[in-house]
Amino acid sequence: MGARRYLLSKFLQAFATLLFVLTFNFFLFRVLPGDPIGLLARSQRLTDADIAEQRATLGLDQPLPQQYVTYVEQTVSGNLGVSLRTARPVWGIIASRLGPTLLLVGLGTLFATVLGIMIGIKGGWQRGSRFDTSTLYGSLVLYSMPEGWLGMLLLITFAGILGWFPAGGYSSGGDLTGVARIVDIADHLFLPVLTLTLGYIGEYAIIMRSTMIDTVNEDFVTIARAKGVPERMVRKHHVVPNAFLPTFTLIFLSLGFILGGAVVVEAVFSWPGIGLLTYNAIQTLDYPVIQGVFLLSSAAVILCNLAADVAYGYMDPRVREA
Amino acid sequence: MRAGGRRNRVRTTIAAATAVLIALAAGGTLASAQDASDAPATDVPVVLTVGTTVDLITDNPFAVSAGSDWTVVTAQYDMLLKFDDASLSPAPSLATGCDPNDDSTVWTCTLRDGLKWSNGSPLTSRDVAFSYRFIIDNNIPQYRSDFKFNPTFETPDDHTLIWTSEEPTFAPEMPPWAYIVPQKVWQGVDGKGLQVIKAQPNTPSIASGPFVLTEWNQGQGWTMEKNPYFWGQEPGVDRIDFRVYSNQEAMTQALRNGEIDVADGIRPSLVNSVDGIDNVTVQKVISDWWLNLAFNFGGQGPDANPLPALQNLDVRKAIEMAIDKQAIADTVYQGTATPGDTIIRPASAFWHLDIPADEEFPYSPDDANALLDQAGYVDTNGDGIREDPSTGDPLQMTIPASSDTTGAVEAGQLIVGYLQAIGIEVDLKPVTDAKMNDYWGAGNFDAYIWYWSGNPDPNYQLFVFTSDQCGSWSDGCWKNPAFDKLYEEQGKEFDRDARQKIVFDAQRLVYEQVPGVVLAYPGWVQAYRSDRFEGWTPAPGDHGYLMPGYNYDSLVSVHPVASSSGTAASSSSVPGWIWLVAIAGIALIVVVVVRRGRRGDLDEA
Repeated sequence: MGARRYLLSKFLQAFATLLFVLTFNFFLFRVLPGDPIGLLARSQRLTDADIAEQRATLGLDQPLPQQYVTYVEQTVSGNLGVSLRTARPVWGIIASRLGPTLLLVGLGTLFATVLGIMIGIKGGWQRGSRFDTSTLYGSLVLYSMPEGWLGMLLLITFAGILGWFPAGGYSSGGDLTGVARIVDIADHLFLPVLTLTLGYIGEYAIIMRSTMIDTVNEDFVTIARAKGVPERMVRKHHVVPNAFLPTFTLIFLSLGFILGGAVVVEAVFSWPGIGLLTYNAIQTLDYPVIQGVFLLSSAAVILCNLAADVAYGYMDPRVREA
Repeated sequence: MRAGGRRNRVRTTIAAATAVLIALAAGGTLASAQDASDAPATDVPVVLTVGTTVDLITDNPFAVSAGSDWTVVTAQYDMLLKFDDASLSPAPSLATGCDPNDDSTVWTCTLRDGLKWSNGSPLTSRDVAFSYRFIIDNNIPQYRSDFKFNPTFETPDDHTLIWTSEEPTFAPEMPPWAYIVPQKVWQGVDGKGLQVIKAQPNTPSIASGPFVLTEWNQGQGWTMEKNPYFWGQEPGVDRIDFRVYSNQEAMTQALRNGEIDVADGIRPSLVNSVDGIDNVTVQKVISDWWLNLAFNFGGQGPDANPLPALQNLDVRKAIEMAIDKQAIADTVYQGTATPGDTIIRPASAFWHLDIPADEEFPYSPDDANALLDQAGYVDTNGDGIREDPSTGDPLQMTIPASSDTTGAVEAGQLIVGYLQAIGIEVDLKPVTDAKMNDYWGAGNFDAYIWYWSGNPDPNYQLFVFTSDQCGSWSDGCWKNPAFDKLYEEQGKEFDRDARQKIVFDAQRLVYEQVPGVVLAYPGWVQAYRSDRFEGWTPAPGDHGYLMPGYNYDSLVSVHPVASSSGTAASSSSVPGWIWLVAIAGIALIVVVVVRRGRRGDLDEA
C-alpha cells in the first residue's frame, strides 16, 4: 500500500508540474517583444491588411486567454499547430530534428556518463593516488571550460589544421548510401560528441568520486573488510552500489535534458538539432515551434524525473519504507 | 576458478577487440573506396557543392521570405521575361517578347516552341495565365504589386498570352517579378487562402528552369537536380548540393578544406581570411540593398513624438554632413561597401543615380557645426549638447538600430560619435527586427538604422517614399508633394530613357530633402574554388551574383575546370575518427595487458 501511494503521489506531482509548464511556456514567449507576423512585413511585403488577415487566420488576434484555451485543447489532442514561419506542422519539424539530437546528445551523455562514472569510481577508491589527482584536476578543468570554446578548439585543430574531420554539418549528402552513409555521419558526429563528452565527463567523475569517498568510510565497509572480504569484492558489492545513488538521479535528469538539444555545440558544428531549432524559432518569434519544443523537453525532464523517483524507490529500500 | 581459464578469457577478449578495431578501419576504407569505384568514370555526376548560412525556410514559391528561398525559386522557375545579365533589363525567357498596342493597354506575349515542365508535360500560355491569376486572386504579397490596373489574361492558343490592362502599363515588360508554375500542380489550392497555399509542399518540385528541387532536409541542406526538359542550354553540372552551416567560420573552413565549392555569403570581417587562399576566388557583389538612417517626421500615431528639430532641413543636412560614410564603408564593411547617396541601389544600374562627388554634401563636421549655429541651435549651457531655440530642449535623439541587419549597429556606434561632435546626443538602441517593427509601427523613435533593398525596377523603392505611405511602408512619414508628382509621372512614362530622367529627378529630390541618409551600399561576398569550377555568369554585370540572385544563367554556364570533376560524391580517404578510435583502442588494450601482467592474481578468492 505504501509503494502504491508513493507511486501515485509521484505521478500526480509530475502531472501537475507538466500543467504548470504548459501554462508558463505559453505566457513566457508572448512576453518577447515584437509581433511574429509583423516581422515578415518587410521581407514578404505585407501590408497592414495582410498582417491583420494572417493574424486572424492564425488566431493571434484573439484575446490571450482564448488563445491559451485553444492552445491547451490542441496540445491535449496531440496537435502542436503549424509553424508561423513555414506553415509546416510543428510535429514534423521537431521529428526531423529528433534523430540528429538523439545521436549527438544521447551519445555524448552516454559516453560522459559511463566514462565519468568509471573514472570517479577508480579515483574515489584510490584517493590520493596519481590517477585520482590527475583525473580530479582534469575533470575540474574540463567541467569549467565553456563547451562552445572547447568545441571551437577541437574544430580548429582537427578540422582546420589537421583536416581530419569535416568543418560541420550532419553529412556530406549526395548519393551516399548504406555503410558509406553511416561512416560519413559518424565522421561528422565525432567532434561534436567528443566535445559534449569532454564537457560533461567531469561532472559525473567528480560526483561519483565524492560519493565513493563518503561511502568508503561507512561502518558496513569496515565490517566487510573485517570479515576478510577481498578489496575488489568490497568495492564492487558494497561501496559502488551505495555510492551510485546520487549519480543515478543525475543520470536520469541528464537523459531528460537530451531532448532539449545542445544549442552551443550544435551552433559550433552546424549540427541540425533541436537546440538550433529552438534558437532560430525564438529569433523569428515562431510561437508554435517554441512551445512545441519546450513542451517536449519539459515533458521529457518531468518523465525522467518521475522514472528516477520510481526507480530510486526500488534501488533504495529505505525510501520505500519511509 | 582456474587461473589459466581466466587468462585464456582475457586473451580472447583482447584479440577480439583488436580484430574489431582493425575491421572497423578496413570497413571504413572499403566503404569509401567502393562507393568511389562502383560507378564507371563517365557515370559519375558532376556535383557543385554550395555552402550557406541561410537555411531554406520554404520550398513554396508563394511563401518565399528571404535568402535561400529566392535562390531556390530563381533556379527552378522561369519568368515570362527574365532580368538580363548585364543590367537586369527585360530579356527573352519563356516568352520571346511582348508587344504593346498603341496605348499600351493590351500586350501580346509570344511563348517559344517546345516548352515543357520537368515531368515532360507541355508548358503552355494557360500555365502563364493561371500563374498570374493565382497571384492576383489569392493576393500573394510578394508578387502582386507587379499587376496594377486589374489585368485580365487571354490565351487564344498554346503560345500566346494577351495581357489587357484597364490603364496604359509597361508591367508585362518590366518584367513582372513573378514565377510561372504548373496549373495542374497548384490549381488544387487556388482560392483556399494564403495559409493553405503556403502549406502546400513542393519537394520534389515540377518546374521549367534548369534545376529542380528534389530533396530537402531543413537544417541540413537541399539538393537540386538537372531538369532533363529544360528549354535552354544544358547546364554544365548535374546536381547542386546545398549545405547549411550555422556559422560562417565553419563554412569558410569547409571551403578551404575542399568540402564545398562555393561559400555563399561571407561577412566583411571574414573576407580577408578568405582572400588570398590558394585556389579560392572572391566575388564582391555589387550592392542590391542600402543601409538607411531614416528620420521620423511624426504622424504614425499617439506615440509618435519625434525631435521637432528634425523638421528643419538644415538640421538634417548638418547630420548628413557630420557622418563619414567612407569610414563606415571601410571600417564596418571592411571595404565590401561603397558610400551611399541615392535611394535606388547600384545593382539597378540603369536607374541608379550616382550624384557626382562635387555635388554631394561634403563630409565636414565644421560645416555641419556652422550650419547648426546659423539655424540657431546652439549650446547655451556648455554641456556639449545644443538646444532647440523654440523649445529650449537639448538635441537628443533615440535611434534604434537593427541587429539583424549587417553593419547597422556598428554604423550606429560610429554615428553616435559623429553626432556628438556636432552637439547632438544619441541614445543608440540595438534591437532585433521584431522590436524594430514595433518602433516602426508606433513611430516612437527619432531616427532608426535599417535597410531597404527594392527591386530591379525602381517603382517599388520610390513608392515607399510617397506621402500616402505614412503609417504603411514609409519609414518616418516624410511627405513631399513634388516627389509624389514625380512618382506618378515615372509610372506612366513608357519611354525608358524619358522615364530614367524622371527617376533621376526623384532621387535627386530625395537626396536634397534628406528624409534620411543613405549611409552605405553594402555588397554581398561569395567565394568559390577556382581550381574546380569556372564559367560563371555574374548578374548584374561582372560584379554581380554568381549564385542565382535575379536569374539562373550562372548555374547553367558554370562547369568543372577541365582537369577537375567537381566535389567527389564521396571521399576516398579513411575518415579521421576511425584512425583516432583505432589508435586509442589499441593503446588502451596495451595498457590493460601490461597492467594485468604486473598485478597477477593477488585478490582472487
